[in-house]
Amino acid sequence: MVVPSVRLLLLPLVVCGVLLGLPLGLGPAAATVDGDQPRVVRVGTEGVYPPFSYRDPESNELTGFDVDVVRAVAEEAGWDLRFTEAPFDALFPALDTGRLDVIANQVTVTPEREARYLFSTPYTYSRGVIVTASDTDDITTLEDLEGRTTAQTASSNWAAVAKDAGAEIDYVQDFGPGVELLVQGRVDAIVNDNIAVLDYLATSGSDEVKIAGPAGDEVLAQALAFTKADAELRQEADDALAALREDGTLEQISEDYFGADVTVEGGTTDVDVEASDTRTRSEVVQDTAWPMFVGLLRGTVPLTLASFVLGLALGLAAALARLSGIRLLDWTARVYISVIRGTPLLVQLFIVFFGLPQLGVDLDPYPAAIIALSLNVGGYAAEILRAAILSVPRGQYEAATVIGMDYGRSMRRIVLPQAARIAVPPLSNTLLSLIKDTSLASLVLVPELFREAQVTAGATFEYLPLYALAALYFWVVCYLVSLAQGPLERRLSRYVA
Amino acid sequence: MSELIEVHGLEKSFAEQRVLRGVDFTATAGTATAVLGPSGSGKTTLLRSLNVLEAPDAGTVRIGDARLNFADPPAGKAAYRRAVKALRARSGMVFQSHHLFPHKTVLQNLLEGPVHVQGRDREEATEDARALLAQVGLAGREDAYPSQLSGGQQQRVGIARALALRPEVLLLDEPTSALDPELVGEVLDVVRDLAEQGWTLVIVTHEVRFARDVADQVLFLDGGRVAERGGAEVLTDPREERTRRFLSRVLDAG
Repeated sequence: MVVPSVRLLLLPLVVCGVLLGLPLGLGPAAATVDGDQPRVVRVGTEGVYPPFSYRDPESNELTGFDVDVVRAVAEEAGWDLRFTEAPFDALFPALDTGRLDVIANQVTVTPEREARYLFSTPYTYSRGVIVTASDTDDITTLEDLEGRTTAQTASSNWAAVAKDAGAEIDYVQDFGPGVELLVQGRVDAIVNDNIAVLDYLATSGSDEVKIAGPAGDEVLAQALAFTKADAELRQEADDALAALREDGTLEQISEDYFGADVTVEGGTTDVDVEASDTRTRSEVVQDTAWPMFVGLLRGTVPLTLASFVLGLALGLAAALARLSGIRLLDWTARVYISVIRGTPLLVQLFIVFFGLPQLGVDLDPYPAAIIALSLNVGGYAAEILRAAILSVPRGQYEAATVIGMDYGRSMRRIVLPQAARIAVPPLSNTLLSLIKDTSLASLVLVPELFREAQVTAGATFEYLPLYALAALYFWVVCYLVSLAQGPLERRLSRYVA
Repeated sequence: MSELIEVHGLEKSFAEQRVLRGVDFTATAGTATAVLGPSGSGKTTLLRSLNVLEAPDAGTVRIGDARLNFADPPAGKAAYRRAVKALRARSGMVFQSHHLFPHKTVLQNLLEGPVHVQGRDREEATEDARALLAQVGLAGREDAYPSQLSGGQQQRVGIARALALRPEVLLLDEPTSALDPELVGEVLDVVRDLAEQGWTLVIVTHEVRFARDVADQVLFLDGGRVAERGGAEVLTDPREERTRRFLSRVLDAG
């Protein structure tokens, strides 16, 4: 067997290490009080939960009741706000792992949550309602949910309310997809916040669903959520909220959005919710096409390029390790390849982004996504490259050896160029998969193409046209890439008779 | 005149099979040595031991001033590797099925060693390479890829590639046995020229008549041992019964 020089084998590994290591130190500075500099406070919010947290249809800027409240608090307290938009179920893990300092997203204060988090004084009082399809008439109270199926966000308190009522839960990412399930008859009901439901009805103009009744008569309080360790920040928020209540700002924000003051107990019964989005379907698609394109350029394309290059380096290192004849290297590579190919990419992504922080490895969304995607590409590329290297006849090594080449040089000059020709078709499959797989990065907060589609779809409920547009973008990119495959193969095969 | 090649007590086993059982021979600079013998006699293994494509289990190989004792190799991986490299640098090799680099042109094949391993000046090496190609009758084919050449032409490029390293010894491993019969002549002509020009050659071959013509020394191998060693007369008037039987078989078949 070919005995590799350890140096050549290590090279790709070192390159990966350096490239992957770089972003580790480059995360946003942890919020610290530094002299007179305003404290940087990172706020997590959904951005797809109108009218509390959503993108303004005109400007595409983040807006909403909760967003305005936390902005007012920041101004009062002298914070420098940084917003992160993420699915609701990702917000608490992000707070736990120190990626966020506060959540402003209609977080209901519950005893379970109070055991783990600190809450500001409430800035919204709301009650829940039960939403059903318009033609459902046998569900009007919580008792009727017994044995029925409801669609809920996993970590929402409304899921707990529905569960306590004896309902089966289908978990969804946010309210919008839940309504789709309801309309399609796949679930029987949704328990959600009164105002959010009114906004949906006003925005969508839908007559397919209705408010069927109250979800109990309990009034729930919503507040800003902080980590247990951050009592100081919570105190600043409480002071600011008190001042805002004092000078009427809080009431004004509520009146602007709801025509009522929901910031005091008992104010929610007579809210007047206007549609947060009045655009037509084609306007929505037109307005979103550009942000999606930006997401493609800023998210999808760099994620793909970085992950593919790093993944190939990893794959080459693993392939050479497997061919090294050195047992330790061989088995290390085998385990790596087996784990990568035997586990879902989504799980790998979540382990890197949500799991590693619990070991103290705290990665920003981009590097986390790049690491997970590179590792994944590397696992598949390793076997492709190994097979391609093995397809180069043994005589080629011998010819290189007798003209005096060492392992590294014969690999670089003789073997790998010939292996490349064999590896290109299967590697382009890997690349096409990678391009599409980058959409999973939306789940770890990377603002790529599909995330933009989700954000707008969540606010406008235009799922089909927006997701179809996202599919079109992906298809065009993949098509362009596949166009390049032919010329590349021809170039690598120019010496073949 | 001292011997350029000195091989002593060479032994090699593959698994349970003893392929070389103590081979000795020497060769003087400027001579052609033909190695013949039935298949499985160890001819090719002997040749591949001279540039350590196979590492013998015991014995010594010396070419020029590079010497390696396989029974007592230099201590340490790096020292061993250096010794192998030094020995290898004395010879060039022509393979049975040429093993040209298919992704490189004829000229690039010839420059790979001189420029990228030996670090010689590219222009000078290119001039050398063109002269070698002319010598093997392939002037003007510098930019062809191997796949665009006939088998005989490919093998001639293989010879030129080995010579481009300016070796002291040229090892040829059955250089014509993978060729169509009508292409054998052109390759043998080139080898004959080399012998006449005074290159030191070690040729494993089945071409008895060619060996008779060209060889200054004949080694007849049988069962991993040198059964008979002598001048070209070994092939016309062998002393050993084994050699005689082999020759009659081969010549009858041919």
